[in-house]
Amino acid sequence: MEVFINLLVNGVSTGLLIFLLAAGLTLIFGLMSVLNFAHGGLFVWGAFSGAWIFKETNSFLLAIAGAVAVGMVLGWVLERFLIRPVYGNHVRQLLITLGGMLVLSESIKIFWGPNPIRVNLPAWLEGSYQFDGIIIIKYRVFVIVVGLLLYLALWLLLSRTQIGLMIRAGVLDKEMVQALGINVKGLFTFVFLLGAGLAALGGALLAPYSGVVFAEMGMQYAILAFIVVIIGGMGSLQGSALASLIVGVAGAFMAYYMPDLSLALNMLLLAIVLLVKPTGLLGEKGSAV
Amino acid sequence: MRGVFHKVPLYWGLAILLFMLLFPFVNDSRSTLILLTQIFIFAIFAMSFDILLGYTGIVSFGHCMFFGIGAYSTALIFNKLDATLPNFLIGLVIGIILSALVSYIIGLLSLRLKSHFYAMLTLAVSQLFLVLAEKWRGLTHGGDGFTFSVPDVFKDRTSFYYITLISVAVVFILLKLFTESSTGKVLKAISQNEYRAEALGYQTLHYKLIASVTAGVAASLSGALYAVSLRFINTNVFSIEVTLDALLMTMIGGMGTLAGAIAGAGIIEFLRHYLSELAMTFPIFERWTIILGFLYIVVLLGFPSGLAGVIKKFTLKKGRREKKRNMKRAA
Repeated sequence: MEVFINLLVNGVSTGLLIFLLAAGLTLIFGLMSVLNFAHGGLFVWGAFSGAWIFKETNSFLLAIAGAVAVGMVLGWVLERFLIRPVYGNHVRQLLITLGGMLVLSESIKIFWGPNPIRVNLPAWLEGSYQFDGIIIIKYRVFVIVVGLLLYLALWLLLSRTQIGLMIRAGVLDKEMVQALGINVKGLFTFVFLLGAGLAALGGALLAPYSGVVFAEMGMQYAILAFIVVIIGGMGSLQGSALASLIVGVAGAFMAYYMPDLSLALNMLLLAIVLLVKPTGLLGEKGSAV
Repeated sequence: MRGVFHKVPLYWGLAILLFMLLFPFVNDSRSTLILLTQIFIFAIFAMSFDILLGYTGIVSFGHCMFFGIGAYSTALIFNKLDATLPNFLIGLVIGIILSALVSYIIGLLSLRLKSHFYAMLTLAVSQLFLVLAEKWRGLTHGGDGFTFSVPDVFKDRTSFYYITLISVAVVFILLKLFTESSTGKVLKAISQNEYRAEALGYQTLHYKLIASVTAGVAASLSGALYAVSLRFINTNVFSIEVTLDALLMTMIGGMGTLAGAIAGAGIIEFLRHYLSELAMTFPIFERWTIILGFLYIVVLLGFPSGLAGVIKKFTLKKGRREKKRNMKRAA
């Protein structure tokens, strides 16, 4: 029971971190059919800049805010100079965002060196809770709370506000929304910045969680996020949330019981979804075929 | 007139081949020979990638897996058996069969998907191979890798140079014939407009499978030569950097032209060699990968058809100018 609850908490918190990465990916794809391979680069920049600011200022909140700001600035540069020139050309989009990923993760090594960096937990989040012998690490609970709040905020943004309405309409039918006089490109820039900020936030939250950050981690988590986005259905926020939880929890249990097979499990999930329901669990648009 | 224009690149190719054949006689620098060997090996790899990206319009982000499969098959054979030529052939054939099988299965499952999904799926599968190689330590010794001995023919730098040079030439000719065959024409049609090719009655999935198996087999050959050239292997052959190399070479050289892939391999390997030498005096060049990354982005945005495209544009302009002049003279 103790193991079960611990694994569940681990899985849910990892899943929510992946969700922060996947949310941006899925919205960007849904709105503009741009698959951003550089998303993992924003994530790892968030992780490193968050860790660095935390080390310098010793303020965790400042670190998170700084990481999000860095992520958004980089996201703006990426959108403006790499993605905008190749709108509508899928092959070139794929190629150029991968180039962006290369530059982002290499430039990490210029600023912080090629070796992994240790990250400490903020003092007020160290330690763990104990209930009847079940030990739950505080920071994981914190990640779960933040993740759920962000999901709620995103959901409110999409379902209750004017701009959310426009985004949802854009995901459903871009041309129609454009014909109604809404600036879809501006909308896309907004969504891209939002996604970049979320990715950087995910990185900043992950850094103390895993205790160590390294440049290659962007690609690792980006692959997880891709898997999540496909399983959940491209363009569907709820689908991504659901799939993140599935991948996170399944990953935690597999890592405990069959550690060698944990990545294989995700691939298996991906293959099954692509074969049985290529639109993903909750996806309506952007069918894979 | 057109026939003559068609023949010009052929003469160039023969001239370059002749130069390369004679090169070891005039050159006595070991490192240059090794660098050229490395270029030839990566030229094969880049050409195999070009079959996918340039000729068929398929974006694969997992091409390193075939390179790695070829490399590991050869390395493991030499590790377990004696270092003889027949064993090399066995390793090569095993690598080729495995690559053909893997590319066939992946293609069958995912080539019907849209480009994004295919790119992601191949990336994920190649990472799976990386994890497999890292975890199966009993066989691969994981990230530490292992060394192995190779037949004497391969140990001699000059003879290995000729082996790789001939391999490049043979692969180039075979792939050129492939792209100019009727199958190759269909592939070109698919890259330009898949729906139209399908509407004309071609089973595009079938043709894309042929392209992906061909590319996988050629990549496996280059991987095998790579392993032999290093006499050492570790899991790096499955890393995303290997796929990025192929991408950079094909893009910078010019996709859809096999010669461009060879030129790209030359440019990238030369740059890498000299930039890492420069890094000894100027530490900033230690991160030369980022320079390649910027170069790649600039090429993608500014010169999408790469070096080959720039040359073609230049010669076309020249040709047109001459034509105009001739017409004026005639008038």
